[in-house]
Amino acid sequence: MLTRLAGGRVIDPQNGRDAVGDIFIRDGRIVDAPPDGTADETHNVSNKIVMAGAIDVHSHIAGNNETMGRLLLPEQRYASDVVHPGHAPQPWGTWNTFETGRIYATMGFTTVVEPAVLPHQAIQTHLELADIPIIDKATLTVLGNDDFLLDLLHRREGPDAVRDYVAWTLATSRGFGIKVINAGGVAAFKANLRAFSLDDEVPGYGVSSRTIMKALQRAVHELQLPHPLHVHCNNLGIAGNVETALATIAAAEGLPLHLAHLQFYGYGREGPRGFSSGAARLAEAVNAAGSVTVDIGQVMFGQTVTISCDVLRQFNARNRAHPKKWMICDGDSNGAGIVPYNYRVTDFFNAVQWAVGLELFLLTKDPWRVFFTTDHPNGAPFTAYPDILALLMDRDLRAEWISRLPKEAMAVTTLTSIAREYTLTEVAIMTRAAPAKLLGLKDRGHLGPGALADVAVYETDTDKAKMFRKAALVFKSGQLIVRDGAPLHDAYGRTLSVRTERERAIERRMRDYYEERYGLSPDFMTVADAAIGRPESFETIPCLN
Amino acid sequence: MAEAWIRGKSAALDAAIAEAASLLAASRLPLIAGLGTDVAGARAAIKLAQTVGGVIDHMYSEALLRDLDVMREAGMMLTTPTEARVRADFLLLVGPGLIEAWPALPKRLFANRRIVWLCPGAAAKPENTYQNMVVVGDNPFDLPVILAGLRARCAGRPMAHLPLSPATIDSLVADLRKVRFGVAIWSASQHDELIIEMLCGLVADLNKGTRFSGLPLAATDNAAAVQQVAGWMTGFPLRTGFGRGLPEHDPWRFEASRLIDSGEADCALWISAYGAPSPIWKRRPPLVALTARPDTSGADITIAVGRPGIDHDAVEHLASTATLSAVRAKKPSTAMSVASVIGKIRAALPTAKPC
Repeated sequence: MLTRLAGGRVIDPQNGRDAVGDIFIRDGRIVDAPPDGTADETHNVSNKIVMAGAIDVHSHIAGNNETMGRLLLPEQRYASDVVHPGHAPQPWGTWNTFETGRIYATMGFTTVVEPAVLPHQAIQTHLELADIPIIDKATLTVLGNDDFLLDLLHRREGPDAVRDYVAWTLATSRGFGIKVINAGGVAAFKANLRAFSLDDEVPGYGVSSRTIMKALQRAVHELQLPHPLHVHCNNLGIAGNVETALATIAAAEGLPLHLAHLQFYGYGREGPRGFSSGAARLAEAVNAAGSVTVDIGQVMFGQTVTISCDVLRQFNARNRAHPKKWMICDGDSNGAGIVPYNYRVTDFFNAVQWAVGLELFLLTKDPWRVFFTTDHPNGAPFTAYPDILALLMDRDLRAEWISRLPKEAMAVTTLTSIAREYTLTEVAIMTRAAPAKLLGLKDRGHLGPGALADVAVYETDTDKAKMFRKAALVFKSGQLIVRDGAPLHDAYGRTLSVRTERERAIERRMRDYYEERYGLSPDFMTVADAAIGRPESFETIPCLN
Repeated sequence: MAEAWIRGKSAALDAAIAEAASLLAASRLPLIAGLGTDVAGARAAIKLAQTVGGVIDHMYSEALLRDLDVMREAGMMLTTPTEARVRADFLLLVGPGLIEAWPALPKRLFANRRIVWLCPGAAAKPENTYQNMVVVGDNPFDLPVILAGLRARCAGRPMAHLPLSPATIDSLVADLRKVRFGVAIWSASQHDELIIEMLCGLVADLNKGTRFSGLPLAATDNAAAVQQVAGWMTGFPLRTGFGRGLPEHDPWRFEASRLIDSGEADCALWISAYGAPSPIWKRRPPLVALTARPDTSGADITIAVGRPGIDHDAVEHLASTATLSAVRAKKPSTAMSVASVIGKIRAALPTAKPC
């Protein structure tokens, strides 16, 4: 069947297209216009905006830690209770896998990356992802605080061994890429260190955070994984940590490196409270480092819960929990820290954090290297996305928000001086074309012939939050799945994972290691298709070249 | 060969499925309880509860909720059994019921570290005691006071009227402070929330100076896995109802035996694939039982199911890793899984549920 989306404004930056025209869909793919222009089914989308389905590169939507968050906070609801425009939060009972897929799809998102899978818990993550309808998913496997890697580096075994181990871990956990979270810092916390920076060494191993990160960056690069090493830096959330982020950017040394939720590292020590925005310096460094990409982790005001494998950071943050309860788990490699938190409009620090995120969005010049995230749910639930897009696209709206925030907080940022407004084309780059490129997914993020027919159609509206909250139409793999902002039914997407070449010797070595260290076969952590219980739940993506 | 019974008489599977579906469809508030099943069975059961507007509860929710109540009221520091194995230099065993909860505990964790067992009670049998183990206190009844004493002394506060000598308490406190990575182990089946909260508070306090974590031993019959499944599918733990469309959680309102005894639930689906016996309820509404040990006398409809990990492959919570893991069938058989039986029941439901 040939489907035609007729007469919409098609914004497809990957293919240099921004014009009124048609899109044709056949067998789940975008196709060229047929010679006679006729279709079996036509949707009139005149006066509407047509974009590829949006892609989220960093959102904690599944896994043991997310579910422990749900169990810790039965009172938590999706959607931050934002100060403006003050829409109502979702009802209780919606922070679950099914609503996650539906709400994402309603906003026009069709692919989401769960960025923190501990190898031993990968089966649960994949089971949860399989219960998220509509959207496609991918996962990043977390390494960098695991004994095997730290010991390899301690014994200076060299890059081949690291590469084989990374490939083995990706295969057992069915990951798409590799993430490192406070490299070495979580292992150091187990040895009772309470602070850890880029050049600090993990007790007992004598390897620094920098050594761990560089080894993983190299392994990811040499394996030619489609997504570069995804880094959660040291010292998250601490005044003065802009220096850590700057040092980490410099450590990229020209190789691809993705820095996650940069907002949480954008803090200087200036001003009367010793806490200020370091966003301008940070954005300048990002602008200058062409191999570095960043996502923001924007903060929005309201109750949320922070969920992180950075156990050290979460332990140090536990006394600021709101409500006053938390869960900290020393895991097998990284672990879990779940700390509920309320970002308040009247709070100096929270207002600075909000401004830092927006500054980073607005001062990073290249929309192909800055990505749209809240680090869901850490900065805000992903349901706050439409409001953030509106803030980026409308400086008057920003001014209105700023007028409600503590003046002394705004004074230690540059936000009030920034006039830039994101265009729809820049939004399409940041949320579609660029993430597809960052993930190496050639058939996503654009609307050229051959692309997967993931398409979002929005009403044109001066209220950008309203426009992006509920898409007029969303197609997933060619199937109409959302109409007038409401999901029509639950189809199930797939989880993307990579296939790498690896040596068979690592298999035997890992079996021996698991027997010796844990008295167990590593089979307990191996994600098999049959365990997931939904047919064709995986799609394999090749490595680059 | 599927085995099914309708009111005690052997019946064709299809007939039993049809009858089960019509009982559930006719019910105003069906209860789906027991839930002793693998992950696939739990997913199917929760989906069924959503479809028929029912309530889900597990036979061991009581113990699950004691740990969870402490976490969601106060907070907890936890670790995994695998991390405890490789890192702990000290175990604090708290109260009885530990080896019953996890028979492999001594084999997995007792070697090569110091162990203090607080108030083991009857568990202090010769076969449970080891050279590297010291027993402190005796009667589990004293546990709350001893934990409170330890926490008070840890915080440098005075204490009185303890069942142990001040010297014993102070020497244990000094020991706890000296460990490098200690792990406290308990089973919630043995303690109320206040005891668990006091213990978790002690563990948290010890982290002011050293590293200490907690390791609660999970209830059996795959309870921990079923709780996780409920968590991701509904946003809530067990004792969650779908009667008003979206899931609602209430540990009192949606407790299985209360719902049955009060008459609020007018139909029950009991699931027990690990062999736990049927519950003792005061009332007996129409009952469908999916069980690995068919006892045809009790239920209106009984359908035999296979045992997860024995008759069929399964995903289960593993005590040795505290993860969900895929387990291969030890003796594969043709016995149906809970998931496949519930799939058939769902398919046999009338498409629109009458109001």
